[in-house]
Amino acid sequence: MKKEIIFTLNGEAVNVEVDVQWTLLYLLREVLEMTGTKEGCGYGECGACTVIIDGQAINSCLYPVMEAEGKTITTIEGLASKDGQLHPLQTAFINDGAVQCGFCTPGMIMSAKALLDAKDKPTEEEIKDAVAGNLCRCTGYVKIIDAIKTVAGGR
Amino acid sequence: MATLDGAQYIAGGTDVMVLIRQKKVNPKNLISIRNIKDLAYIDTAKGLKFGAATTHSDIDGHEIIKRAYSALTDATSHLGSWQIRNVATVGGNICTAAPSADTACPLLVLDAMVSIIGPKGSRDVALDDFFQGPGKTALGQGELVRGFVIPAFGENTGSAYIKHTRRQAMDLPILGVATRITISVKSGSEVRCKDMFCTIDSIANILAKLKDEELKVEDARIAMGVVAPTPVRAKKAEAALKGKIVSPELFEEIGNIAASEAKPRDSIRGEAWYRSEMIKVLVKRALIKSIDRIIRPDEAIYPERLW
Amino acid sequence: MNNLTTVGQKIPKRDAPPKVIGAAVYIQDMKVPGMLHGKILYSKHAHARILKLDTSKAEKLAGVRAVITAADMPATFRIGVMKDNPPLKAGKVLSIRDEIAAVAATSPEIAEEALSLIEVEYEVLPGIFDPVEAMKEGAMLVHEETKSNVLKMPWKLVCGDVETAKKESAFIVEDTFSTPWVTHCCLGTSGCIAQFDTKNNLTMYSNTQIPSLAQNDYIDALNAFGLKNRRARIIQCTIGGGFGSKLDTYSYEYIAIMLALKTRKPVKIVFSREEEFFATSPRQCTITKISHGCDKEGRLTFREIEMILDNGAYTSWGATTPSVMMLPISSLYKVPNVKYTAKCVYTNNTYSQAMRGYGNPQATFAIESSLDQLAEVAGIDPYELRLKNANEPGELTPQNFKITSCGMKECMDEVVKRLDWKGKHGKGTGRGVGMASLIHVGGGARVYKSDGCGTIIKMDDFGKVDVFTGASDIGQGSDTIVAQIVAEVLGIPIDDVNVINNDTDICPWDVGVHASRTTFVAGNSALGAALKIKSQILEVAAKLLEEDPATLDIKNGVVFSTKNNEKTTPLGKALRKVHYALGGNMLMAEYFYDPPNANFDKEFKGNLSVSYAYGAHGVEVEVDKETGQVKILDYIAAHDVGKAINPLLLEGQIYGGGLQGIGYALGEKMVYEKGELKNGNFLDYKIPTAKDIPPVQAVIVETDEKDGPFGAKGIGEPGLVPTAPAIANAIYDAVGIRIKDLPITPEKVLKALKEKEKKG
Repeated sequence: MKKEIIFTLNGEAVNVEVDVQWTLLYLLREVLEMTGTKEGCGYGECGACTVIIDGQAINSCLYPVMEAEGKTITTIEGLASKDGQLHPLQTAFINDGAVQCGFCTPGMIMSAKALLDAKDKPTEEEIKDAVAGNLCRCTGYVKIIDAIKTVAGGR
Repeated sequence: MATLDGAQYIAGGTDVMVLIRQKKVNPKNLISIRNIKDLAYIDTAKGLKFGAATTHSDIDGHEIIKRAYSALTDATSHLGSWQIRNVATVGGNICTAAPSADTACPLLVLDAMVSIIGPKGSRDVALDDFFQGPGKTALGQGELVRGFVIPAFGENTGSAYIKHTRRQAMDLPILGVATRITISVKSGSEVRCKDMFCTIDSIANILAKLKDEELKVEDARIAMGVVAPTPVRAKKAEAALKGKIVSPELFEEIGNIAASEAKPRDSIRGEAWYRSEMIKVLVKRALIKSIDRIIRPDEAIYPERLW
Repeated sequence: MNNLTTVGQKIPKRDAPPKVIGAAVYIQDMKVPGMLHGKILYSKHAHARILKLDTSKAEKLAGVRAVITAADMPATFRIGVMKDNPPLKAGKVLSIRDEIAAVAATSPEIAEEALSLIEVEYEVLPGIFDPVEAMKEGAMLVHEETKSNVLKMPWKLVCGDVETAKKESAFIVEDTFSTPWVTHCCLGTSGCIAQFDTKNNLTMYSNTQIPSLAQNDYIDALNAFGLKNRRARIIQCTIGGGFGSKLDTYSYEYIAIMLALKTRKPVKIVFSREEEFFATSPRQCTITKISHGCDKEGRLTFREIEMILDNGAYTSWGATTPSVMMLPISSLYKVPNVKYTAKCVYTNNTYSQAMRGYGNPQATFAIESSLDQLAEVAGIDPYELRLKNANEPGELTPQNFKITSCGMKECMDEVVKRLDWKGKHGKGTGRGVGMASLIHVGGGARVYKSDGCGTIIKMDDFGKVDVFTGASDIGQGSDTIVAQIVAEVLGIPIDDVNVINNDTDICPWDVGVHASRTTFVAGNSALGAALKIKSQILEVAAKLLEEDPATLDIKNGVVFSTKNNEKTTPLGKALRKVHYALGGNMLMAEYFYDPPNANFDKEFKGNLSVSYAYGAHGVEVEVDKETGQVKILDYIAAHDVGKAINPLLLEGQIYGGGLQGIGYALGEKMVYEKGELKNGNFLDYKIPTAKDIPPVQAVIVETDEKDGPFGAKGIGEPGLVPTAPAIANAIYDAVGIRIKDLPITPEKVLKALKEKEKKG
């Protein structure tokens, strides 16, 4: 069954026809062709699909697309400014060596952003809590936490 | 809604969407209750009342719940990941009724009542009677959990939930134990051993010191998860605690009684013998944590209402 | 060496920017116009006869463009090192991951639905799932055409005389250790897009780690499919993790090729997470019987090892891991007498392939655990025993490895110092410390006819450089290392270096990203090409400046005379001068570096690598005696890397490898029941999360390897080689129990503690 939904995506209004069975992840990747958000498992177990919805970090692979109606959604593509200036988290991830294969990176950055938007100067424990749902197999997490600390002011 | 064909309720979706993807369910329609305000409320005026659609993150952030109903916050803060906690509801956790449901044991020890609404009206069921088997609840056709009601507890009550896992996040419990305990101190005196909880002394030594304090158990609840087809209360162990003085010997005995009330099995997530052994260990630790919270409460909570 | 401007610097990875904005294109994101989607039907049983396979209903489903089975492949076509693996199985299935049919359709959903319409009737047969049982006389044969389930593999290494050494040993220990199947868990799953042009030349969009060798494999396949003399081109997408998982070519790739051939359309196959778990090949599991001896003073006299490897139903690189296991077996510490045999046994289980360390972690677990046992029996401190037998520069090991640079002692010293070994070892209070060392290849590894890598460099008109390298970047940062080396040699800013590495039509040959060889081999290759082009540049500039080229150098993109400061010219000017002239020229250089290492002879002796990487890990643990849980309080990972070309990336390899090692030691295990994977998901197969990391110190020891580019050796794999035994040894120090079967779970620890208590 097809329905129309309207929501805000990376600061812009989106009006799109969707199949009610889709997940938000499917809409983003397959229809809107925004492939920055990744599918790592499809079960909400790896966090590669993390986006921010109304300020909360959420696994888009488990999010029914119809729930997006009226929401404000941010994906990795919406972090840099319109003139291409990177978000401080993106710069820190590059400079602090937090990126290896990069598959977990968009989801990781979105979780970090949701944390920093909600909390000023989070502790190391709070940072780990925020990204505990984002699996990484390459980095061992150390430099990811370093990068988030760089932006949070803890380093 | 009661007439909608092949319909299933969905709140946070962290269970339903997974079941759909695994092809274990194939509902023709999904009814979203995520945004219904009537189902997402937290009221701490008298006791604790909260709606079924309250998310784990909502509970996590609530200072009064953390202080007065600590076992519940222990559960909500350790469930899944931050992303999951942001959408997963306590109602969903309870209605999926897995033996491993993290919020089940805390709500059991907090004497929660389940408020149910449905096509035939509303009714209340004790959470103790709500679970009827793995994945089975007392909900009838078309019924919905509206919320949970927990009584107010007095000053000397503390609770805790320990989730025994293999890794520190994104994990289901090998088993889980929740306890609530109300104690009274020998008349007039104050508990002198507060500082000892700040040490990393062994549990045996802490209990030995507690014995000197002569703390009497006025009331207790113990609930265990993943050691039976549903989350269960260890009622014999609870009875054995009542009226007794806290001591290492008492807790040893209680752990053994609780273990005898469980029927753990082997699964790829844990072996039965280990689960049995861990009941004894975790019941002790959860009770001590509960006592710790009575003796050394965090900074005072500003109540929502002064009178 | 002290005037290096780029090498040795913490330069951020060049490919990080597109990754942090979500613009990097992985195979999952890749689309080709007209593309179809392929899906594979796997067997439902570990051992069965296929009585009926009816694809007619699937073929009729709207949107399905092709359905193939083994009948569509040449009957004798086989893949894998033993050529025992048909991409689509006919007649019998020998494991539950056997591919029996495949569909290409206009959408993944239609392809999935088509699979459910394929009718299969099986006659289930009893399976054999225990390699020890499968080895016995009269055991059911997994491959009917063979005479035995034991593969005809030549794994036997004899150095010196073990029998005599046993008699001369003052102390001997013997024990058995085992390691499970564990899997790579790359966040980006396997996948490819196969596409033919009008002349039946193949293009594969892929995330392979071995583009040049995969090319060979595909051309072999095309030949077998009747397409003789064709080209195969591999275009690598951004790779979402490797760790060895993409070191072979697999059934799904040949299935995609066949589907593309049948439909005349590009066909994409991408694994779901479930498939990534059960249908890719995990780390080789092992059963190791090991015995160690030493004299009164603690000098090692012999090491004897017998291994049994569950080969599964078909053969991939798991069966060749003994060739790498020989490294620590013969050369970790000075052991004059060594005997090693390994048997690979067919069963109806899954089959293994390369995974970071390629057998070294499995062998080192046994060796370093056993060494601690020997130390105890001999009454020597485990660190002292290791120090006494430590490898040294200039040594020739029993396997004929020529040890050049060797920082083993320095690494062990770091561990002992930072852990406060002397203060913490031997207390047995529930807290303890343990250590283990490693040796690995660090200067390439001649596992094939060539260990080479080619580099082509071309200059433009402005002083910017394009570097075409055969080496693939699987996320470890080889592109950045290559860029640093070229920038350093040419004296230009690193931003002026562009590295291209992902197209076999453009890039030179490389044997592959394995054996931690990329920094050493691709680095030396890039170094050689850069030096060549630098001399060309200086020749040109010399004419311009009227100076002797031997007196010129380049810095910050400017060519200058070392004799006369006034004589300078911007690099771009010199390049334009030589280009825009009658009979002009544009500068290009190429260099193919094949390291001066050696293949093993028939006895498995030979200097496999030009240099060897060393390291030592030390761990402090606390054991919860009531629950059996092990907590890591401190972790020291010291690595001899020759030279850290990029300390930022190097630390990343140490941290990443270390955490994979911790997962291997404490929690990861693929749980199989009668050949079926029971925990093929991220919930029940638990890789460490951000909350599971212990405090860790990555210590870089530089020993300046003379044959390495700027002195560097490899680091890709060493990070997880000694982790498990270091932790097992620490647990023994803490509570006096030794777990010999990975992973070290709370259950195993608690059981052992209770047994120890019973014994009194």
